[in-house]
Amino acid sequence: MSKIEVLSDAVADQIAAGEVVERPASVVKELVENALDAGATDISIALETGGRSLIRVIDNGEGMEREDALLAIERHATSKIRNAADLVGVASYGFRGEALPAIASISKFELETTPRSGSEGTRVVVSGGRVDAVEPAVRQSGTTISVRRIFFNTPARRKFLRSQAAETRACVDAITLLALARLDVSFKLTSDDRVLIDVPQAGSVAERIGGLFGREMAEGMIPVDHQTPTLSVRGYIQRPADARPTGRKAFLFVNGRPFKDPFLVRAAETGFRGAATPGTKPSMVLSLEVPGEAVDVNVHPAKQEVRFKDRYFLEKCVEEAVRGALSPVESAPGWEGGGGTVARWHGGTGFHASGSGAQDGVELPPSFFAPEEEGTVAPGIGELLQVFNTFIVCETSEGLTFIDQHSAHERIIFESAMRQLEGDEAVSQRLLIPITVDLNSNELEAVEAHSDVLASVGFEIEPFGGRTVMVHATPNPHPRFDAKACFEELATDLARERFGSLPNRLHRFAATYGCRAAVKAGQKLSASEMRNLLVGLFACDLPPHDVHGRPTIVRLQREELERKFGR
Amino acid sequence: MKFTVTREQLHEGLTAVAASVPTKTTLPVLSNILVEASDDGLRLSGTDLDIAVSTVVAAEVDEPGSVTLPAKKLVEIVRELPSAAIRITTAGEQRVNLECGRSKFRLLGVSKDEFPSFPPVDFEDHWKVTSADLQKLIGHVSFATSTEESRPILNGVLWELRADRMRMVATNGHRLAKMDVPLTSAGSTADLIVPPKALDQVKKVFGPADEIEIARSENHLGFRCGATRVFTRLIEGPYPNYDQVIPKGNDRIATIDRQTIMSAVRRVGVVASDQTHRVRLSFSPGTLQFSVNTPDLGEAQDEISISYDGDAIEIGFNANYLLEILKLMPTDEVQLAMQAPERAATIEPVGWDDPAAYLCLVMPLRLVD
Ligand SMILES: Nc1ncnc2c1ncn2[C@@H]1O[C@H](COP(=O)(O)OP(=O)(O)OP(=O)(O)O)[C@@H](O)[C@H]1O
Ligand SMILES: [Mg+2]
Repeated sequence: MSKIEVLSDAVADQIAAGEVVERPASVVKELVENALDAGATDISIALETGGRSLIRVIDNGEGMEREDALLAIERHATSKIRNAADLVGVASYGFRGEALPAIASISKFELETTPRSGSEGTRVVVSGGRVDAVEPAVRQSGTTISVRRIFFNTPARRKFLRSQAAETRACVDAITLLALARLDVSFKLTSDDRVLIDVPQAGSVAERIGGLFGREMAEGMIPVDHQTPTLSVRGYIQRPADARPTGRKAFLFVNGRPFKDPFLVRAAETGFRGAATPGTKPSMVLSLEVPGEAVDVNVHPAKQEVRFKDRYFLEKCVEEAVRGALSPVESAPGWEGGGGTVARWHGGTGFHASGSGAQDGVELPPSFFAPEEEGTVAPGIGELLQVFNTFIVCETSEGLTFIDQHSAHERIIFESAMRQLEGDEAVSQRLLIPITVDLNSNELEAVEAHSDVLASVGFEIEPFGGRTVMVHATPNPHPRFDAKACFEELATDLARERFGSLPNRLHRFAATYGCRAAVKAGQKLSASEMRNLLVGLFACDLPPHDVHGRPTIVRLQREELERKFGR
Repeated sequence: MKFTVTREQLHEGLTAVAASVPTKTTLPVLSNILVEASDDGLRLSGTDLDIAVSTVVAAEVDEPGSVTLPAKKLVEIVRELPSAAIRITTAGEQRVNLECGRSKFRLLGVSKDEFPSFPPVDFEDHWKVTSADLQKLIGHVSFATSTEESRPILNGVLWELRADRMRMVATNGHRLAKMDVPLTSAGSTADLIVPPKALDQVKKVFGPADEIEIARSENHLGFRCGATRVFTRLIEGPYPNYDQVIPKGNDRIATIDRQTIMSAVRRVGVVASDQTHRVRLSFSPGTLQFSVNTPDLGEAQDEISISYDGDAIEIGFNANYLLEILKLMPTDEVQLAMQAPERAATIEPVGWDDPAAYLCLVMPLRLVD
């Protein structure tokens, strides 16, 4: 007797289910994606005991005829593609025809659906993959799927479920992701009758972010909008000043489809370099539009990952997109922590269908972000006022801009030091009387270890025996520059820090040097010095942020001022 | 206290003193002027604790006494008064009445007990210099001091007094100015480091024809002419050995028309970097070429005729340093002497018809790639 047998369909389904259905959150994701593919504009999800006893998804989509409802729970039954070629650039979330049979095979499953055509509704009851009943049902058009007692017939899997709170959180995350991708749909999630998410159709991403994470988060976000002839990167990034080392939220979408990609997140982080404190993890919501054939979505069983044709180019674009977003003055914080951008967030959304791969009857996911209106580039410099010998205030067409003189100067020196470290020439002032500096042994070691970069920015140093060094030439970035103090402080900083790899080392060095060479808070500046500072700042790549991720600029909108005075 | 003084006398006295009154101070009494009436007349004094200025104007004193009055208000009132006699009387400790013709003011003073006392400088032993010499020295040298807090010595002007000459030297390490003037009345030898702010006051307070007596105590210096005095704190030395760094063998010597080189530097300096102000000078026989190349901003070239027959040399400078020095050079032609692109260059007047000797020095800028 042969020992190999073809598995029964039910067993095969259960095995496949292992890939599709890991936990309640995967069920939620699959069902909500199906609802979106069915063109629903209103989706509500109910959980009981973290999805263990019940997951129910109700949509107002196109529904199914009885025949289709029965086919839907058969393996590889799909309405979304017909042949392998359709897979290229597929625009619907589903394309395998795996999800419903997999879910139905490990739960007590019930599907109620009424097609838009006006035909009669159908109820299909399935238990562990076995169809128990098919009967007429009365329902408005749309579909309700109830999944009870998940993994009731696979106890081994049931054991792997985590705490109710953890499973609930995973479901929230899954819906959050889809809610960010689809502003045109309203979502509501309840868990044991507690409302966890309730967002109406949104006019803008900012509105949706506000609905999901709270107004504060929305106001701290900076819009990203980067276009190349072949792709676009849009979305929002967190203001560097608000970024923390933990608790980051990173959401990526490609052509409206959520995916995970630590390398792209890292590329985005690279874009923050020089504007955020190293080690902080800014949150981001980034949506890529690429031609359908440039991305393969069929590489991961749960579609969590995608494969790009030209990764390198993509990473570069993401990095540039982030840098570009950080550069306008609008990315500076507004008053009371709010973003100056908020006022502009209520624009039209301008959803449009994405590139290629349209299927009959399948709505294409709308593109994620609509282009936002252009802001002004740099404020025209009017009268300047120095306050507390620390801040510079100037009037712009939109309100008042406050500039931190030290942070701003630090940014200017940092960027020019970076260019010098990367090969630009630096100008070094020779000294008539060399500066002698006594260092401790750590400082001496650090100065020797950094002699190359110190030389690149203009310090000419010679050991003088013992722990003393002579400085024969120094940079002279501004008339108040105190070369000796700068060098001593720099030596102390260099001795304290660990600098790591080369790009990191240059970067940290330039940041440290910028900090030490810049004018300090408390220093009185002349009108022309203030003006030079502003001109220099706005000539920088990332004017609004200092090298530690703090803002260099804070803006007080005219409307805000008028509101305060009740005008 | 009761006295009468002419508006002109009071105005002159106040103007001399008011400059030493700080505009911002944490010690409120310092924004006041000390007014002391005695048989000698009216003494007015002001100080910011570093520098003190005091002068006496003639007045008819009926009742001696003293009070301090807000400097700014007093100066403004006196400026606006008609040219007539001003009568000032105290009513109690701090109330002061001021009358002039039909104008009447009542001011609130602060008790003179709070006013700091002046440094004790004994003029018994003193040097005598003419105000004209002193002004010449100050005017040509004190600009070169440093403002770097980490090298406080360079924040002062070195003033060397010798048997037959006096000299002032100032440097911020990037450029240096030095001037000698001969002395006729010999005094003792001294090396003083004086804050430039005090020298500024001296320049303002004393007239060009004055003979000034100068005396020092432990750490203060006093200037006196008639009843007018200026006191200042001295900076503690020693001053760096500047003589050692002044090049003696600069043998590439160009003689240049001062106005011509200044306007060329100013022109090309327009596109020099805001940070470094770097301009490049190329000397070849008969010509001096200027060039500036600032990434992101632009380029400039210029050329002037000079008298030069040394080897060709290219050297970079901070345009501001050059202009500052050239502006002060007292002759139509100047001599610029160099040795190498990384060594100090000196600038001196040519054919100066004056017993004084003037030399400035500027350190070049170097390019690092
Ligand atoms: N909520 C719904 N409304 C209307 N039709 C639905 C709904 N859910 C599923 N369907 C239909 O059932 C079919 C099977 O769904 P299923 O999720 O199993 O596969 P899929 O979405 O095509 O592919 P994938 O396995 O990648 O999700 C779909 O192709 C669709 O035609
Ligand atoms: Mg599906």
